Amino acid sequence: MNATRVIGSAWRSLARSKLRSFFMMLGVIVGVAALTALASVGEATRQETMRQFKRMLGTFDTLTVRPGAGSTRGMPSLGSVEPSLKFPDGPAIAAGVPGVKRVALVQQAFDLDVSYRDATTVPLVLGVSPNWADIRGEVVASGAHLSEEDDGSLARVTVIGADVARDLFHGENPLGKVIRIADVPFQVKGVMASRGAGPGGASLDNMLVIPVSTAAKRLFNRDYLTTLVVQLVDANASDRVAEDVRALLRERHRIIPPAQDDFTVGSPRATLAQITRVGSTLSKVVTGVAVIATLIGGAVIMSLMLIGVSERRREIGVRRAVGATRADVMQQFLVEAILISAFGGAVGILIGAGGATVGALLQKLPPAYMWSMIGGAVALSVAVGVIFGLYPAWKAANVDPIEALRS
Amino acid sequence: MNMIEASHLSRTYQRGDGTPVTALRDVSFVIAAGEFVVIRGASGSGKSSLLNILGCLDTPGSGSYRLAGEDVSALPDDARSHVRSKHVGFVFQSFNLLPRATAVENVELPALYTGASPDRARAQELLERVGLGARADHFATELSGGEQQRVAIARALMNDPPLLLADEPTGNLDSAAGESVMQLLTSLHEGGRTIVLVTHDEHVASFADREIVIRDGVIASDTVRRERRQA
Repeated sequence: MNATRVIGSAWRSLARSKLRSFFMMLGVIVGVAALTALASVGEATRQETMRQFKRMLGTFDTLTVRPGAGSTRGMPSLGSVEPSLKFPDGPAIAAGVPGVKRVALVQQAFDLDVSYRDATTVPLVLGVSPNWADIRGEVVASGAHLSEEDDGSLARVTVIGADVARDLFHGENPLGKVIRIADVPFQVKGVMASRGAGPGGASLDNMLVIPVSTAAKRLFNRDYLTTLVVQLVDANASDRVAEDVRALLRERHRIIPPAQDDFTVGSPRATLAQITRVGSTLSKVVTGVAVIATLIGGAVIMSLMLIGVSERRREIGVRRAVGATRADVMQQFLVEAILISAFGGAVGILIGAGGATVGALLQKLPPAYMWSMIGGAVALSVAVGVIFGLYPAWKAANVDPIEALRS
Repeated sequence: MNMIEASHLSRTYQRGDGTPVTALRDVSFVIAAGEFVVIRGASGSGKSSLLNILGCLDTPGSGSYRLAGEDVSALPDDARSHVRSKHVGFVFQSFNLLPRATAVENVELPALYTGASPDRARAQELLERVGLGARADHFATELSGGEQQRVAIARALMNDPPLLLADEPTGNLDSAAGESVMQLLTSLHEGGRTIVLVTHDEHVASFADREIVIRDGVIASDTVRRERRQA
């Protein structure tokens, strides 16, 4: 018997008992739909987390150096960090570590009042080197970025985030206006394009930047940094570069192991990997549940097929009488089981992908489909057909035609 | 040429409690190609056991059975399937059509297991030959008993086997339908096919050239009755 005839004949046999076929499919449909939907919703969420991090960090192709020996949680502020990371450390890394493209210097604080006329807000205040905006891919909505001249001349200029523009100016054009940062006047030079929400959904636009030299000498009066942003030539070399950066800083800070480092080198990519791993533990549990549902679907297929075999004993007898071998009969029932579960799997994938799309749209996320999981669902449903079809097919093949034909 | 050579066939079954029951005891006969033979016997006489062996559904416990010159008495299951596919067409008392298949699909069924390419045209032609060309796309359940049996005969002819085995083919039919089925079998016999028919009906038996009577697992009589044969 050739393949198309086997499949065609199995298909007709299933099509002529639609209700039974539907019930046989149901378990696989539910299992595969759940698998597909949950995996795809998980994937959409993971991708959204990625995007949030990307928006916060601007780029993943960086390392960050912070003062203090690790385990510093939350956002560093000038008032609370160790004064160990100095301005010259930045140019030293840029010049002395191969694989480093540029280094941005950052001083930040988030406890300063910023006001314009009667309006006051408390945004994140960042003193940044002029290359910072470019490393992060920041875009101004109006005005201009901070320049080398601004930094060199200790200019009191600022580029403000979208939230600060809204909170202080209420629709008025901020360009050229003078705001006060902790009572020091700064002229607004530009307004940054909105970056949306970061991890956890908090706004990334409630911030302003000023030249880092101005910040150090005219606002904070501090000669140390809160962050160095090290841009890599090749993101894949981040482990090696991180090690070289550590070695250089130990030398500069005269740290001889086993003495503890007074700085921490972090990799946004590593942080992100850790966060998405937490998500994947949850999705493993969910996947397990869906797999169990599919297996129950397989058990339903097996029991209904066993009933089918006993109802179709006469048909089996006739087929054997007209020349079918045991293998032919086995093959027929096995193909029916595989068709049922594969078709159920296909329907399940459609329902699951549809559900995931609706779910993602309800959460206002762009839908994402986890193709590896969908491929796995297809493989699983075919495997269920084979595994749970095998025993009924074997039973069918071993029906005694003489018994079956006795009227 | 001999179509069937049965020598010293015996068949014993095990009852549920383990006691052996002898269904056939040392049965020997020869049927030449082209003969129309009826096997008669009461229920329990062993005629069904004999038919199962002749149709290669079962093997004899002892003795030898040659079908179309080939010794098939000890063939394994798969090989017997192939012998049935090639040499034997079955016609059953209860028709045994597949209820969820159309007439023409039922007729085609034996061709599924020959490895040959599908031949819908031949199935249609066979339906025409049994007078049911117009019913090809009816489901088996939509046909009368007589029509179903004629579809079953067309099915038995699908692989063009030299031997037809019919087990009480008119047993479930009224006399008019039975008559037309017998006429169809007679015409197939006249076309050169060997027919072995099992019945207990005297009238049906009268269509055959030769009558073998089985009683208690042995041949009680083997009579030639040529008077009905029409040349």
